Amino acid sequence: MSVLRSMDKLPDLNRATILLVGTEDALLQKLAESMLQEHCASELRVHLANSLPLPSTVNRPRIDLIVFVINLHSKYSLRKVEECLSHVDSSFFLGKVCFLATGAGRESHCSIHQNTVIKLARTYRSPLLFCDLEVGSFRATMAQRLVRMLQICAGHVPGISAVNLLSLLRCSDSTPSKEL
Amino acid sequence: MNLYTVLENRSSSSFVSLMILKEDSQDLVDSLLLAKIFTVKGCRVKSAKEKDAWVKLRGDELSLLIMQVKCLTAELGHWKKRTPEITPMTEDILVTLGKEEFQKLRHNLEMVVSTIQSKNEKLKEDLEREQQWLDEQQQILESLNVLHSDLKNQVVTFSESRIFNELKAKMLSIKEFKEKLLCTLGEFLEDHFPLPDGTIKKKKKNTQESNAELITLNEMIEMLINRMFEVPHDPYVKISDSFWPPYIELLLRYGIALRHPEDPTRIRLEAFHQ
Repeated sequence: MSVLRSMDKLPDLNRATILLVGTEDALLQKLAESMLQEHCASELRVHLANSLPLPSTVNRPRIDLIVFVINLHSKYSLRKVEECLSHVDSSFFLGKVCFLATGAGRESHCSIHQNTVIKLARTYRSPLLFCDLEVGSFRATMAQRLVRMLQICAGHVPGISAVNLLSLLRCSDSTPSKEL
Repeated sequence: MNLYTVLENRSSSSFVSLMILKEDSQDLVDSLLLAKIFTVKGCRVKSAKEKDAWVKLRGDELSLLIMQVKCLTAELGHWKKRTPEITPMTEDILVTLGKEEFQKLRHNLEMVVSTIQSKNEKLKEDLEREQQWLDEQQQILESLNVLHSDLKNQVVTFSESRIFNELKAKMLSIKEFKEKLLCTLGEFLEDHFPLPDGTIKKKKKNTQESNAELITLNEMIEMLINRMFEVPHDPYVKISDSFWPPYIELLLRYGIALRHPEDPTRIRLEAFHQ
């Protein structure tokens, strides 16, 4: 069970599960609390993890959306996330994975360039969101966005699927292989 | 097959040649398919000496893309197959829908009205405040203008008359003082330095002494002072017979008068003022 698969469990009725992966425990905790405060028609579950693979002893529901939180101030978080990505099955990358970069507000503390994260997101064809999780109002807005995305990925919104959302969220400069 | 033609237009040919070199078992079918299409264009075969990491990266990205393409085509097929359910446009449904729309509209309009009203009130308050402030400022300006004009007038008129009056007053006071001094001097000299033989001011014929009448010490000093100020370069007065010699001696001895250095018959007042 070292690789997370998206379709190996049956979905629970009206339940949506999100997994937040990142090295910054405090930020993840705060983001989880903001998300749970949102009004949502479906029942929300938030799982937090520092790294993958997740321990297989816990009985957990099917995960609908994975959010990788990268702190632009620490290269360690980026490295950890890159390591975790190999434990995720490729079926997740059909819109059920999202990258969240925090700490872009304080330019002087950033040790990772924004282009690195942008390239990472482009390699995995997943959306990249920027948000300063330390500021309360930004965090609340981001929690709202993530809840909407989660609802769509769990299939609770009729008429749109995760892959559709992916194509909607794609930015305009994502044409491949310009570096050749 | 339509989607593959779309891909063909977008990707470049050499990119595909690398993909051929790195063949994953999962992607074998897809890669061969794509390679078939792109050989028509004439691809450039790159050497296998390219970096493995870079190749693997691009390979993974492409496999993800292909997976997304497959998923989207599947969904597209599914949507095409579905026929949309048409809601029967019966009266009840129309009425309910209409009611809903109108309620939404009313709600929105009410929100708009309330926001505009509150904005209006705020603006009115602001206007009042600004008006008050403007009035106050204008009052201040008026009073300042009045003050300014007053001061201007005052300065102009007063300076001339004031100086004039001051000078006049000064002159008067100085004249008064001079008069007083002279009076006091006269009185003092009268009291303490009378002319000989008791008679002071009356002209007295004294045949023993010179024919000229003796003048008082006061008159002598007056003569000296006048000479000093009338002819500053030659303040010497000739000693005449009307000067009583002891008084001359008195003036000389006390340093009030000085002899002329070459002519013993002339004296002058000591220049106390220089």
